[in-house]
Amino acid sequence: MLGLTGSPAELARGVIGRSAIIVAFLGVALFVVPAVLGGDWIKTLTAVAIYAVVAAGLVTLYGRVGMISLGQIALLAIGTWTATRISYAADLPFPILLLVTGAITCGVGVLIGLPALRLSGLYLALITLMAAGAVNVVLTTINFPNGGHGFTGRTSTPDLSGLQPVGRPGIAGGDTAYYRYTIVVCALMFLLIAAHFASKPGRAWASIRESEPAALATGVNIVRYKLWAFALASFTTGVAGGLLAAQLGQPTAFGFPTQDSLTLLAAALIGGIYSLWGAVIAGAFSQLAPFLFQAQWGIDPNFLLIIFGVGLLQVLLTAPRGIVVQMPKDIANLGKLGAHLFRKVTGGSRSPE
Amino acid sequence: MISFATTTIFGVDWIFLKPYIVVGLALGGVYALSGVGVVVLYQATGVLNLAFGAIGAAGALISYYLVNHTSTPHWIAYLACVVFGAIVNVVYGMVLGPAFAGRDPLVKMMGTLGLALILLGVMAWRAPAGGAFVRVLQLPTSNHRYTVFGATVNLTQILALVFALVLTVGTTAFLRFTKIGTAMRALASDREITATLGVPVRRVELAAWLGSGIVCGAAGLLLADLFTSLDYTALTFLVISSLAAALIGRLQSLWVTLLGGLAVGLAQAVATPYSSISAYRTAAPFVLAIIALLYLGRHRTVTLSRTAG
Repeated sequence: MLGLTGSPAELARGVIGRSAIIVAFLGVALFVVPAVLGGDWIKTLTAVAIYAVVAAGLVTLYGRVGMISLGQIALLAIGTWTATRISYAADLPFPILLLVTGAITCGVGVLIGLPALRLSGLYLALITLMAAGAVNVVLTTINFPNGGHGFTGRTSTPDLSGLQPVGRPGIAGGDTAYYRYTIVVCALMFLLIAAHFASKPGRAWASIRESEPAALATGVNIVRYKLWAFALASFTTGVAGGLLAAQLGQPTAFGFPTQDSLTLLAAALIGGIYSLWGAVIAGAFSQLAPFLFQAQWGIDPNFLLIIFGVGLLQVLLTAPRGIVVQMPKDIANLGKLGAHLFRKVTGGSRSPE
Repeated sequence: MISFATTTIFGVDWIFLKPYIVVGLALGGVYALSGVGVVVLYQATGVLNLAFGAIGAAGALISYYLVNHTSTPHWIAYLACVVFGAIVNVVYGMVLGPAFAGRDPLVKMMGTLGLALILLGVMAWRAPAGGAFVRVLQLPTSNHRYTVFGATVNLTQILALVFALVLTVGTTAFLRFTKIGTAMRALASDREITATLGVPVRRVELAAWLGSGIVCGAAGLLLADLFTSLDYTALTFLVISSLAAALIGRLQSLWVTLLGGLAVGLAQAVATPYSSISAYRTAAPFVLAIIALLYLGRHRTVTLSRTAG
């Protein structure tokens, strides 16, 4: 799966090729996109990057370790809430705010992950879904901080004149600058996750996914690595929540319905749950597609739900690795078919096979 | 002198609590109903149906349309909801059931999420919800009111509770005494071995899909009435809280599911007059389900395979 076959030279070529694609992708995202697009596009793409990080958490948990969490949007909400609360309480530099938010969300995530040591498969998925439902009820009730005092930081009679939205970093006040900032932070989060995949924890997770007894027999500390996976996914999701808080300025509980955890998993499955590129596609699916349908093309966004449902069934039945693997395969097949037809039409010599 | 009528429970007068108990039992009845439908299907086919709410909501929407925009006799309109649930479920079970048969329970569950999203999209497209416009589907039974122990109860609420009880008793008897029921119990243990023994596995699975589809439709109809407005998005994802009852029953025991459903409904409704916890009452299903799941998993140590558990 990781392409670890072939001679060292081939491997090196693969690494260089992959790095080139990533650099090109980031280059386009950082320099070409802001130059060409503006306004709502930039805001939407900021959200795409943030949700891609959340989906990357799902890739880590399900794609690598085989544990499913249906509470990632609730975790994102916790991250957003925490960042909002802290930003009203203390005047921290933005990177520190993100780190603190990540750390607190990480703690909550590990707490939610504890049952994962005892439950697995469907039951783990359902307990995280139930936890997400409970978190949503609590957040809807206490609501997001608006500059008040006390733990919830919410006052029922806010002085709207003096109300400040969650502060953005000094170097990235405008939407375009904040977009670039978000892309850089999200790229760092992806890098952190990719580094885990490529080193010891990644191998331990893979062995747990394949067979827990076998992993145990080879001396993998299952408890530690399972919690580690939850900690990593929660940390990155928390940082994404911090980014989202400053993106929204005034977040509300309505932005994080429980069912979004389900639809995000659907998006991640469609994009490709075994690959970080799949997470990027999932982010685009969940945030960019509704924007394209509604604001750009004027199509009823509800059609998107239908497409989403059909796509989910199709991926589950025929292409479990998602678009990220299926698309190049389909294009290659299409190319082969085209070449074949071309030869037939021109009546040229047949290929040796 | 202490009279029963003035008893207070945690500071709330018993008189005020009674209506909430009625509402809670009715709501719990529907939770239990959905739970039993989910458990039977899960046991027979391994599918945890996340489209349960969407199917019920779509059926209720069809009934609403028939009642308000056509001259169809009302009983046919209400029957249409139940029939719709049965048809959608059976078609899904017939077309996609076999394709998902050998897969992980999680994949099967996500498949039904696909169905739920499709139904939700179709509903939102064909019957857009907008602004102050609220659809109300009130069953005629809601106009029959009785006074029981000093609390007002309507016939729909009684029906919800009775239906849940009858369904649990009926399903238990069905699984124990009929041939198909026995086959379903065999399927729950091992699909491959059951097939080897000559049981027509697909036909038995379709029977489970049919039964749970009927329950889907009935639950959708009752919920649309009990929730006063027919909000299909809310009804679709009400499946998340309805799962609580099934989880308390370990996706296995019908009786525990019934009790779990009633407990969840009661806890949610009775918390209403207590101002300190009232706002959190909708978390009751989740909290109870989490406690049940944690209790259930207390002896587990290592997973033997990816699909186990």
